[in-house]
Amino acid sequence: MKTSYTIASIVAALVGVAALILGLADVLVWAGGAGPISIGILEITGDDFFRWAWGGLVVALGGFFMLAGARGLGDLNQRATAVLGAIMVWLVAGCDIFGMICGGIPAGEESEAFFNSVGGFIGGFAPPYAPAIVLLPFTIIVAWLLLNERQGA
Amino acid sequence: MGLTADERWDLVDQVASKVVSTGVSRRGLGDALGDLTVKPLTGLPVALAVLYAFWSIFCSFAGDLVTDGFMVKFFDNHWLPWLQSAWPDPTSIHYFLFVGDPLADNCFEAFGVLTSGLFVSLGVVLPAVFIFYLTMTLLEDSGYLPRLAVLADTFLHKIGLHGYAIVPTILGLGCNVPAVTATRVLETKKQRFLMMTLLAIFVPCGAQLGIMLAVIPETVGWVILYLVVGFAIFGFLLDRLIPGDNPEILIDVPPYRWPIRENVAKKLWNRTKGYLKEAVPFVWLGILIVNVLYLAGVIQGLSELLAPIFISWFGVPSETVAPLIAAFLRKDLAVAQLSTIAMTPYQMITAVVLISIYFPCVATFVVMLREGWKQLLAAVATLAVVVFAYGGAIHAIGILLGLA
Repeated sequence: MKTSYTIASIVAALVGVAALILGLADVLVWAGGAGPISIGILEITGDDFFRWAWGGLVVALGGFFMLAGARGLGDLNQRATAVLGAIMVWLVAGCDIFGMICGGIPAGEESEAFFNSVGGFIGGFAPPYAPAIVLLPFTIIVAWLLLNERQGA
Repeated sequence: MGLTADERWDLVDQVASKVVSTGVSRRGLGDALGDLTVKPLTGLPVALAVLYAFWSIFCSFAGDLVTDGFMVKFFDNHWLPWLQSAWPDPTSIHYFLFVGDPLADNCFEAFGVLTSGLFVSLGVVLPAVFIFYLTMTLLEDSGYLPRLAVLADTFLHKIGLHGYAIVPTILGLGCNVPAVTATRVLETKKQRFLMMTLLAIFVPCGAQLGIMLAVIPETVGWVILYLVVGFAIFGFLLDRLIPGDNPEILIDVPPYRWPIRENVAKKLWNRTKGYLKEAVPFVWLGILIVNVLYLAGVIQGLSELLAPIFISWFGVPSETVAPLIAAFLRKDLAVAQLSTIAMTPYQMITAVVLISIYFPCVATFVVMLREGWKQLLAAVATLAVVVFAYGGAIHAIGILLGLA
């Protein structure tokens, strides 16, 4: 029980810090404080206010909530705060994935056809990804650990 | 033979013991999440996230998938060429009214009832309205909207409204027609008038937003900022100038629940049906009327008459006068017309803000009329003052900043 609590707490804090840093990086790149960032499968282009400034702020706030909630997972409100942070990252990641799906279905302006090919559609999901998508599996682990924590409590 | 008081209470106890079950309620994670989303410190960031998701889904579905992905291609590559080839006599009046410009290569610029009218109402606005109502319904039925109303209550009270005014405000971003109807959630005449006026002036509909995002994406943020600031300033002023009550309300905040599919489908259908029945015919009628006004030279006459005011007071070039005049019936298309005129970014922002605050579209106008002609006249008079004052103020800000 104590081990589970510690793992959940540490993982929530680590993922929270990562989300906070990446969210702030989104805003920073959009504001022109740093050039576009591309590390492995992760990419921050910062070319659009809505996605990078607003979306980045949401990811950063999500990270902050996870971090703030990780301090005392024995308390229900703290756990809920951490889960809320994970949900905020999911919202942004979900919107990115939904955007990929919506952008991948039509064939594109130049093509005569209405629908994209299966290969073209799948190709739209290739990396690089925005930070929220990279964070998505880790936030799912956080939520799973927190829910287990609830059952154990 | 009647029962005594004691016997009655015994009977009540017996009934209650059979139908009422009691137990200890335990606060769960769902309850804690519900509380967090209503407290300002945690609720406002969540509201920021929810509104982000709301607009992101709206843009991806209505913009990327339906309108840009399929409708533009269908209307421009198939519908317009077929109509232009099949409709007889391109020089005739009926061709001008229904098909529009014979040289147009897209439905956006053709300006006929069957080209721009169909494209805007069905190709642009219908998908926007559909996804907007779907997300609204999900927020409503999940229990988030009452929480948003609680969060917005403090701000909205400063302009004489209460938390539930967030419903018509958000609805207005999809279409002002159902938003005007939704003002009935407000208690007093004063509140309904305030909300209707602010909706007509400062809340751009989905069609306008969609076209703004398509033709002037780099300036939309500034336009929205001017509209939000105007909403706050004029809401504050109108609240102090208009007599009447601003009663408090008690909002019931239910626990979060998964929306029921049948309920969502029913609400979605009713709202979309309302748009198709009430707004679409008026968009077509509006385009027809403006085309007739163009033919009769009324638009040109008004343009020449009002050009000095527009140029000197609002600081926009003379070429923008015709679209600005026409905007009172076709705001969305007027934005498209503006995008083809050479202007500085500041002039473009001013012109688009003017179009947004200029006049409600014809469909909204009719719905407002249904709510009461006195209110409509008062709203239009207020609107005229606001447009003049705010348009001039934006120009003045531009002069002070050295941009205009």
